[in-house]
Amino acid sequence: MTDFVQNSLDGITLGASYALLALGFTLIFGVLRRANLSYGPAIMFGAYLATWTSLNFPAALFVLFLVTVAGAVLAGSYVERLCFAPHRKGSAVAAMVASFALWMQFEELAVLALPKHLYAFPALYDGGPLSFGPFFLRLESLLMLLAAVSICFLLWKILHATRFGIAVRAVIDDPTAAELSGINIGAISLRVFALASAIGGLTGFLIISSQEQVTPMLGMWSTLKGMLAMMLGGLGSLPGAVAGGLALGLLEAHSQWYFGPQWRDFIAYLLLFVLLAMRPPWMNTRSAY
Amino acid sequence: MDEYAIGVLTNIGLFSFIAASAYLLLVAGELSFGQQAFFGVGAYAAGICTAMLGWPLPLAALAAMALGALAAALVGLPTLRLRGLYFAMATLAAAEMLRILFELFHWQLEIGGETVGPDGTQGFRGIRWVFERGVEPADFLALVWALLAVVAIAIHLIEKSRLGATVRALGEDPELAGMLGIDVLRLKLGVAAAAGALAALGGALFAHHNTYIEPRNFDIMLGVHSLAYALIGGLGTVFGPLLGVALDLGLLEGTRFFQGYRMIVFGGLVALLLIWRPRGLLDERVVHWLKTRFS
Repeated sequence: MTDFVQNSLDGITLGASYALLALGFTLIFGVLRRANLSYGPAIMFGAYLATWTSLNFPAALFVLFLVTVAGAVLAGSYVERLCFAPHRKGSAVAAMVASFALWMQFEELAVLALPKHLYAFPALYDGGPLSFGPFFLRLESLLMLLAAVSICFLLWKILHATRFGIAVRAVIDDPTAAELSGINIGAISLRVFALASAIGGLTGFLIISSQEQVTPMLGMWSTLKGMLAMMLGGLGSLPGAVAGGLALGLLEAHSQWYFGPQWRDFIAYLLLFVLLAMRPPWMNTRSAY
Repeated sequence: MDEYAIGVLTNIGLFSFIAASAYLLLVAGELSFGQQAFFGVGAYAAGICTAMLGWPLPLAALAAMALGALAAALVGLPTLRLRGLYFAMATLAAAEMLRILFELFHWQLEIGGETVGPDGTQGFRGIRWVFERGVEPADFLALVWALLAVVAIAIHLIEKSRLGATVRALGEDPELAGMLGIDVLRLKLGVAAAAGALAALGGALFAHHNTYIEPRNFDIMLGVHSLAYALIGGLGTVFGPLLGVALDLGLLEGTRFFQGYRMIVFGGLVALLLIWRPRGLLDERVVHWLKTRFS
């Protein structure tokens, strides 16, 4: 029982980071109906920029946070302009493959700037974990949870209480009608990319500063986990992204405990495969890229 | 030819098989993130057949193709109803499951005083059938390209036939194709199985060229690269994907000029190229133009 509760606690904190990644993915997917394979690599770009800064300048943690977010937003906007703006009304496959091409660019850039396989990153918090009776919770995990909850709330506020948010939802619901009523879809899409990348940058910063290390795998890891969580919760749904992220985190924490890391990944992919084959109602399977 | 050129040309040939495999599915209107799995199935199956069971390579390659087709059909059966990103993610999930199974796959035999066989993440060493028979690298290159030529010409002829036109119609609009009386699922399943066999053949040759394979060879990077090759080269003809592989492996990696910056150049070029030609260099229009010009 103790193990079960502890695993669930770990799963929820892991799930919080997945939920944040899936939120960014879903936001982009909802507006563009296109999958952005370069979402994770753009986060990695921000993370590497911050790591490079911390290696060359005596920068405070808060500055590194800003650098990560700025790097991710910069990289995300670059991806939008080069891969998604030109294909907005054209081929979804071309947009996806183009975003993969830029992924290769980010990865090579990162390896050229910092060629070692692993770099240390300043810790978010030096002390030990908090304990509640027999249970442990790292302060960083608590912060991740807090960030996930507040980002969800903030995003909900933005989408429901600002002109920009109403325009975004209009585009998600019906791009043609939105365009006819005078919404500039190109501008909305760039701003959504910037917003999603900022969320990605925040998530990336929390991940690398609580793991205290950066590797070039961060890009692929973020893209795979974010897409997996997004698909589990149903494409293009924001509450679904949060639910999918938490479900994936819980599933992974428990299966890792009982079966080890390889079966953990296997079980997560098996669940996705079975769900896609069965097509439950929340995964509406109309044609979607 | 020097050894380096032979190596580059062999690699172009080997990866053309998986690029052509991704191409087949793209023409049928499906986007797969999972062709690397069947490349891997072919590599492991052929390696086991020659190095562990003592089969000759041609028989092993046939077995690999059969297994690749079977695996692709099994993955396709529950997923081919899905469209777009749903199908892509389902194939990715299947491919990653297979890769993890390769990581967990241990089966070794004592052969001639040494242990041979897949050893999980440690990979599978000693697939030396080609090497032991004294086949020169240049001869292996000729074999790879001869097989590739057979495959490409066969696909080219099929594309000119009624079957080829039916598959293109399916890719353009599956609903319309279904209304015209085409058995959409069966045809897609056939295309998926053929694509699986093709990728497996590439994998079988890849394993015997490298003599060593490991699960990491067959991760998503290979799958997405094969998609990119098909799309850069063009979806108008089967020679498109081959052109895509040749551009990346030949021009960028082979010439050493871009050493260290290859991916930055390649990535930027691909993104720009796709703005200009969203269905690749040799797309349907170019192919049609070439046909009217030279026939």
